[in-house]
Amino acid sequence: MIRQLGKSGWVLGLVGLLVALAILTKAIQPDFSASGFESLARASLPFAFATAAMTVAILVGGIDLSVASMMAVASVTAAVLMDGAGDLTAGLVVAFVLVVGLAMGAINGALIVITRVPDIVATLAMLYVWEGVALLILNAPGGAAAPWLRELIVGSVVPWVPKSLVFLVVCLAVVWVPLKRSKLGLYIYATGSSELAAYRSGVPTRATRVAAYAIGGLFAALGGLTLTMSTGIGEPIPGPYLLAAVAAAVLGGVVLGGGIGGLLGPILAVIILRLVRMDLTLASVDPNVTTIVEGTIMVIVVMLGGILAVKGRQT
Amino acid sequence: MRRILQATAMAAILAATGGAASAQDYTIGISNTVQGNGWREEMICAMKAQALDSGQVESLNIAHRNTDAAGQLEDIRNLIEAGVDAIVVNPANPEGINSAIKEATDRGIVVVAVDQAVTEESAYVVSNNQEEYAYLGAKWLFEQMGGSGDVVYMRGAAGAAADDDRDAGFRRALEEYPDVNVAHEVFTGWQQDQGKQQMLDYLSTGIPFDGVWTSGIDNVIVDAFLESDAPLVPIVGADNAGFVGQLAEVEGLEGAAVTNPGSIGGAGVTLALQILGGETPEDRIVLVDPALWDNTTEEGRAQIEAAQNPNLDPEWPVSVSIDGWTTYTMDEIIACKGPGE
Repeated sequence: MIRQLGKSGWVLGLVGLLVALAILTKAIQPDFSASGFESLARASLPFAFATAAMTVAILVGGIDLSVASMMAVASVTAAVLMDGAGDLTAGLVVAFVLVVGLAMGAINGALIVITRVPDIVATLAMLYVWEGVALLILNAPGGAAAPWLRELIVGSVVPWVPKSLVFLVVCLAVVWVPLKRSKLGLYIYATGSSELAAYRSGVPTRATRVAAYAIGGLFAALGGLTLTMSTGIGEPIPGPYLLAAVAAAVLGGVVLGGGIGGLLGPILAVIILRLVRMDLTLASVDPNVTTIVEGTIMVIVVMLGGILAVKGRQT
Repeated sequence: MRRILQATAMAAILAATGGAASAQDYTIGISNTVQGNGWREEMICAMKAQALDSGQVESLNIAHRNTDAAGQLEDIRNLIEAGVDAIVVNPANPEGINSAIKEATDRGIVVVAVDQAVTEESAYVVSNNQEEYAYLGAKWLFEQMGGSGDVVYMRGAAGAAADDDRDAGFRRALEEYPDVNVAHEVFTGWQQDQGKQQMLDYLSTGIPFDGVWTSGIDNVIVDAFLESDAPLVPIVGADNAGFVGQLAEVEGLEGAAVTNPGSIGGAGVTLALQILGGETPEDRIVLVDPALWDNTTEEGRAQIEAAQNPNLDPEWPVSVSIDGWTTYTMDEIIACKGPGE
């Protein structure tokens, strides 16, 4: 019960931070309106999926450094296959790319389980492998995205409810909600908390790890798809999603080491970080200072969270 | 050199103030996706200096970071939200940011792409001709090698649009010289340290070769030759201050610098201001063709001599201004101050 409260406390804190930032945004730019929120939601998409992928890997007690590279593979695969294809084919391409994502994640997981190389090392190696694969598929930005797919994330359902946000929530919920309620979800948290204890309780920890990485791969593929959907092309060079995903996961209350955290916190953290970036642009802050500001905010928030957590345990 | 620049700047200022009826207070947004690279930093400084010098810009809103096309979409949309009058953008690639450009122009914001073209029809483009850049240098190099031999091909960043365009130019020259072979092809990522290490590694293999083509990571390549005491071969680079200095000073170095002015950023600001002032250009795309300065001809040596500028950072291109497009002085671009700074 107390732990449940602590967990939602973190999320509530993030919501509070988000509201404060929203007020700040309105103060900097009084014209800020639904269209600005729509831009924000669209910009959050690839970061949100990258963070979801990272979160699953961290929850099972690992980390996946190849997230951004897997997104690049998914993005170029989708862009190449959709180039000149019809609407129906594009739908099949999406399904295929998701399978590719699952497969890439499963390969990462299997590599870790079979070779017993630490997660951080194995996925670092795979970062380069997937990066090379993406370049082999497409050696320069190109390809295309089906128009209906691109329209999925443009505009709003009603003002202040951007389609991109609906897309994000639906995609994450379809995967995450059933997963969290399933046995596999329990296994992931158990393995992340203590692999040995989980193993002795009869959890198939090795299979669980592979499955968790595969789900991470699926999220990464969704992230890659959103890149192609928003740009209309595929880019073989991975974007700045790896470290951003680690940062958002940690900021969102996921404990590095595994077993503790959810998906809501990290997604809120993604939106907060994008809003910070937007505020820095709106306020026309010196571009060489912006990254310092972003980093400082992250450290302060995580530090405050840590202090509050310790205090919470004492009382 | 400086006097000539100042004179042209003066003339241009007079021309500009004569043309524009009154000073206006525009806000210009800038979006760039490579940070910490000498060429791009010069581009940003040229934008700042030109905005300040024009007297028509109240403030610049600069989104300048390392990111991909999706990140640039975010930056452009943020600039739209910030309410800028014009956006000057160095596009991450020609197609990926079209949707945000369209959103900007639909709202009446003038968009000018510099350095590389964009395919969105509502944006204007002032660009260096990247394909010609590579073709010109490669052709000179193959000629210098006597039309045959092995060349080391040191490209930019894998998957970058500018690298792809340059590759097309390089291949075009290669087709004209069937006896030239590419002995070694690497991506420097446009990183000085990486390019230098790659050359040191290749030199240490002892495999002979007859020429080096670089995509602008040039002065460190000459350094690599000198440090490993290897016999020099013809080297093609960009007009970066460090390399142009080496072309004048390093004994036994035969080489050529192909111009690729970062001051194109200043030209982009000028074009944006012209359009805001009601003067739209005849063509949507203005291409700036590169020039080649070699140290093997009298004429080339004179150009290299004239371009020397020890005040510049070695990674900055020496062509800090573009006639008819930029009006700031050398000191102003080095100071790198924009309006209100």
